[in-house]
Amino acid sequence: MSEDDSPKVPVTPPEQWVDLYGDYLYGFAMSRLRNPDAAADCVQDTFLAGIKALDRFDGSRDIKFWLRGIMRNKIVDQIRKSIKENKVDIDKEDEALLESFWFKYSGIATTNPDPWQFNPRKYYDNGEFWVVFEKCIAKVKNPARQAFILRVLEDQTTEEVCKAMDITPNYLWVLLHRAREQLKVHLEANWTGNDAK
Amino acid sequence: MLTCKQVSSALSKEAYQKMPPLRRFFLRLHVKLCVFCGKFNRQVMESQEMCRCYREHEESLSPHRPKLDTDRKDALKDLLASQQIHSKPNE
Repeated sequence: MSEDDSPKVPVTPPEQWVDLYGDYLYGFAMSRLRNPDAAADCVQDTFLAGIKALDRFDGSRDIKFWLRGIMRNKIVDQIRKSIKENKVDIDKEDEALLESFWFKYSGIATTNPDPWQFNPRKYYDNGEFWVVFEKCIAKVKNPARQAFILRVLEDQTTEEVCKAMDITPNYLWVLLHRAREQLKVHLEANWTGNDAK
Repeated sequence: MLTCKQVSSALSKEAYQKMPPLRRFFLRLHVKLCVFCGKFNRQVMESQEMCRCYREHEESLSPHRPKLDTDRKDALKDLLASQQIHSKPNE
């Protein structure tokens, strides 16, 4: 079947977008930005960009997902903007990690990381686990959280994230390590209460 | 055989699941056997897997996420309506 023969999804008129997709896109932006004003700006920018690009919508997928695709770029722009306003400074603990023997020679932070207090894999099919997981991502501190969102959740390349944050790839590695550490601590604190042990 | 540094570097540049099968095999072999980086890099791989699953479940999280308040919705509706008038001046 050629691309032209594929079933087309009807175009929802922009006057209905706020009612149909406003909450969905706002919730998505909040999961990445944590800031209600920035998230609302993102929704607005997404809708405006959507109206401008509507003639390029090919109908191959639901317009909700097409708008979410546009929103991903807006989220990255918002994070970049926030980083520009609060420049990322390397702290002494992170500097020490970068200078440590294990990092220099093996690219790791420690040979003996704390084991998980529960096996998260057991809960991958449990919707409640992902609700808690998302809340735990929100608790990770910036700039580790911003690095994690850009690199892991928004699939930006190492080069793109380093450029946006004005940091070296090694420091990005440290920030991602910090984000993973904090995420683990928060998950253990917040999920173990829900029968995980 | 990969070195610890090569394994760490590969995992920092690319998610394990996105690597070619042969690379995945050698990487997993290293992580299983290595007493130096094994535990650490295994947790990196587990974290990547967890994030991949989170993204797969994201659609179902929508009802649990915050909603746009009514004032903001109304302001957005007005803005979109004005934009459409500007974008279609002849209609």
